[in-house]
Amino acid sequence: MALPLPPGLTPPETAFLCEMEMVTVIPRQRLEGLNLLGGPTPPLHPPHRTPLPFWLALLLKRQRRANILPPPWLSPPSLSSILDLEKKTPSFSPPPPLPAHTTTSPPFLPSATADAPPDALPYHWLELGEMLLEAASDDIPEPDNVRRLMRDLREVRMAKMRAGVNVLEGGREVNLNGVGGMEVSEGRAFIGGVVDGLRKIGASKEMSRREREAEERENGIGGGDEEEDEDDGMDT
Amino acid sequence: MIALQDTMATVTQQRVRGRPAHPSGPTFLTYTPNGKQLVTAGSNNVVRVYETGSDGEPTNLDDCQENNTAIAATNDFFLAGSEDGTVCMYSLDTFTYEKMLTRCTLPIRDIALSPDGQWVAVASDELEVKVVNIADTYRVLYLRGLPKPAKHLSYDPSGTYIAASCTDGIVYLYSLSTEEPEIVRKIDGLIRTLETESELSSRAVWHPDGRAFAAPTAPRDIQVVSSGDGERQRAFSGGHMGDVTALAWSPNGALLITAASDRKILLWDTKTQKVLARYDYPNVINMAWHPHENIVSFVTSDGELFIYQTFLQPDALPLLEKTLQPAPFIRDPLAETSGNSRKPLTNGVKHSADPRARRRGTPDSLDDILGPDLGGDEDDFVSDDDGAGYLGEINGFGKRSNGHLDAIDGFDRKRRATHQSFQPTIHHSFQPGSTPWRGNRKYLCLNLTGFVWTVDQDTHHTVTVEFYDREFHRDFHFTDPYFYDKACLSENGTLFSCPPANGTPAMVFYRPHETWTARADWRTQLPAGEDVTSISLSDSFIVVTTSADYVRVFTLYGTPFRVYRQKSSPSVTCASWRDYILTMGNGPVGGAGSTKLLYTIENIKRDEICQSEDIVALTEGAKVKSVFFSDNGDPCIYDSTGVLLVLQHWRTPGQARWVPVLDTKQLERLATGKKEETYWPVAVAQEKFHCIILKGEDQYPYFPKPLLSEFDFEIPCSTSAPPEDPQNPTALEGPKLEESFVRSSLLLSLLEDLVTSTNATHTQRTELSRREIEADKVLLQLLNVECREGEERGMKALEIVGLMRDRSGKMVDAAGKVAGRYGRTLLQEKIAELAERRLMGTEDEE
Repeated sequence: MALPLPPGLTPPETAFLCEMEMVTVIPRQRLEGLNLLGGPTPPLHPPHRTPLPFWLALLLKRQRRANILPPPWLSPPSLSSILDLEKKTPSFSPPPPLPAHTTTSPPFLPSATADAPPDALPYHWLELGEMLLEAASDDIPEPDNVRRLMRDLREVRMAKMRAGVNVLEGGREVNLNGVGGMEVSEGRAFIGGVVDGLRKIGASKEMSRREREAEERENGIGGGDEEEDEDDGMDT
Repeated sequence: MIALQDTMATVTQQRVRGRPAHPSGPTFLTYTPNGKQLVTAGSNNVVRVYETGSDGEPTNLDDCQENNTAIAATNDFFLAGSEDGTVCMYSLDTFTYEKMLTRCTLPIRDIALSPDGQWVAVASDELEVKVVNIADTYRVLYLRGLPKPAKHLSYDPSGTYIAASCTDGIVYLYSLSTEEPEIVRKIDGLIRTLETESELSSRAVWHPDGRAFAAPTAPRDIQVVSSGDGERQRAFSGGHMGDVTALAWSPNGALLITAASDRKILLWDTKTQKVLARYDYPNVINMAWHPHENIVSFVTSDGELFIYQTFLQPDALPLLEKTLQPAPFIRDPLAETSGNSRKPLTNGVKHSADPRARRRGTPDSLDDILGPDLGGDEDDFVSDDDGAGYLGEINGFGKRSNGHLDAIDGFDRKRRATHQSFQPTIHHSFQPGSTPWRGNRKYLCLNLTGFVWTVDQDTHHTVTVEFYDREFHRDFHFTDPYFYDKACLSENGTLFSCPPANGTPAMVFYRPHETWTARADWRTQLPAGEDVTSISLSDSFIVVTTSADYVRVFTLYGTPFRVYRQKSSPSVTCASWRDYILTMGNGPVGGAGSTKLLYTIENIKRDEICQSEDIVALTEGAKVKSVFFSDNGDPCIYDSTGVLLVLQHWRTPGQARWVPVLDTKQLERLATGKKEETYWPVAVAQEKFHCIILKGEDQYPYFPKPLLSEFDFEIPCSTSAPPEDPQNPTALEGPKLEESFVRSSLLLSLLEDLVTSTNATHTQRTELSRREIEADKVLLQLLNVECREGEERGMKALEIVGLMRDRSGKMVDAAGKVAGRYGRTLLQEKIAELAERRLMGTEDEE
């Protein structure tokens, strides 16, 4: 059975996964701890800050039962310093450093809580930022400014990703360290297409080369015939 | 000159004859600081200098630039800026051209001389404002960052700030105290957007006391804005029917004159913001007060100059003769004597006007020659940080008046330090969790339940109570005719108190949040003459400390429960938690010349004193910023050095001691040195310090409602300097674990005290044993570090094992295993011996 979806995660799926991230909320009403499939949540006592999964925080926010504390990197000074860095260097800004003695990978790190590192974009920065701006823009200081900076950052990074495609032709690779989940799924179609196209071109070249070699072998190689053969190859 | 004044004093509202000074067009004028000369410039190439007091022809300087757009003068020279982009300097001695100060590519729009006369700020149609040194014109500072050209510039009286009224409708406040002038504040929505050529004015004119400036607003009012926080203060409103074209403060700041396109000049009283007089003069575009006489001069767009002798009528004249008057603040931070700010010294120089009549100026006196600007720092209002308010002493000549001769004051304040009898500094009373007035608002109470704030509406206040838990409580709001100035908020109710006013005594008002009767709120009046110094509210009692040094305890529904006099006085503050109350007062004078702060903790219900008149451990000169009980009932203080201290063993008399649990100056977030912030304490709960982060120089939180931040405890044990080898994170592990050991032992002992003294619940008991294990686990980790470091650390490792409290012996066993894993067999044997001794109970006890 062929799935109609392209391989890999689609943007909505990435956004769904992003909702597993932990964020810090300031509850506006009491709630006992819930025993959820993903583990128990801490009881909420306003105004104590509490870490909650993003999806639950969004739910509470929509019901006006909590305020979400935006992660420190989602602030105009942090974003603009990251943007400066992006503009200066050809590579992507580095992901947040891994805390010592850890074995987990980005989605399970506290990258969106109030104590996240302020100077690096985490794996889910784009989708998390967008969702926070959409659902909790009143909790974010200077939301318009943040929105503009997010847009700038996204464009700068997309441009880098597209520029990276140029070097793919030589069979070299592009360093995508620091690229976020959403950027990967957005870029997948384009980069996949390019790589596929390159592969096809490469394949036809390869095919012709093989044919030529086979022909040469049949003809019983002669030093002088080579030019002629090449011409033949070109015609085909 | 005086004779002239006297003869004209009887003439009321006489019509002043205009003198044709310049062709019609923009015209400018300025007095020299000594008031002897008046310089006018206009659209022709003549600058005229009028001698004050002489009705003769002015001296003309004929070879100036055409189309002058600005003028400024000192006693010796004047500067004229013109549309050709030059700023030239002319001598007032010889009346000749001296030099060109600077040249811009676009027309000059305004120039402002610094109060010391050494720098001139030049605004042109360029985006940069130049500040040029007059002696060395190659020394230039640039005020950058304006999106559009500046229309007006004005120096504050101390010369450290420049207010630039920009054509984008924003006033930019630049600080010149830094190497590169930088914008310290933008005040948006104050002035109109005007073109640089416009005859209307958007000038920000500094009040002579230097704490505020006034600027015309779009609705034709004059708005006073404090420079310290950019808040709107009082406004002079409802006077003009046309757009304001000029405004000027009188030299002492007691009066303001404004001119507008409604062909009127208005005279305002600063204190009441009322119009004192109206004068009908059309097209006035610039005005100037004579620096010390009752003369106002103004020019019109027809190029006429009016020199209005005896401008003020005799009824308003006393205002001009006053000493420097404060700017019209809504809540003057200096006049304020609420619980948070400090009262003037009991026997310091009074802030009120000088009791003796001011000496009149005499012609050619030294004052006239020196001028008022030599008085030095006129921004004393801002730097007057000991609250004595001695600025009133400086008179119009910038010198001390004869106020210091007043018998009450006794001594010259400069000499007081050596001559006056000893006067200890005392701790002033304050209400924990409240802020002083800023603008017309203040927080009465900020804690983890919610916050109470009040707005001054002149005739009444409006009080708003908001809760963090919006489901459990409902926010409320009421009009307050009693002017409550203190409040406490708890889960059960809100407590307010108001000071005595207009013959009504001080009052306490309690409003429970929930009630099952028709009316549960109550108010009680204190005996006449008694003022409330602080209040506190617990789950079961209300505590009020008063200015008569009484501690009054009420039950929640208003029954007076106890009244007693506080042993240490004057009273400072109080806090309460369940049945325990903590009161603080000034005790005996310590070595540093200030009183010791003493506290008493007692259980009201059991009538037991836990700590009697014990000392609040403060470092020299430090003050208590807040005092509160943590959610577990341990008394905490936060002092002005940024340290949070908790009182350990406070239930046993004589055993209490203050333990620092967090030094906010050593927080990791400040380690980079980039951030400049302070922390305003709110509460201690769940072993975290809840506070509000204040950026920059703010002292108190303000509106909009700030977010609470929380920090974990961190006992200052060792310096948290970065390790020599940043690649090796384990180097930091030892000190961190050591801190963690001290912290967990402290928290354990606090919990132990709580559990032994109350009917502890089962969860508290399990929590206690969990914490014991936690503390031992930290020691085990520490042992791990020591073992890893090497054989030679064995002694310390054994000592660490000795510190374990561990009753079951499991932890010591585990310690032996750790030692074994690292192959420290000798250590392992010694640990085994220790374990055996412990098991036998033969460990030597002291």
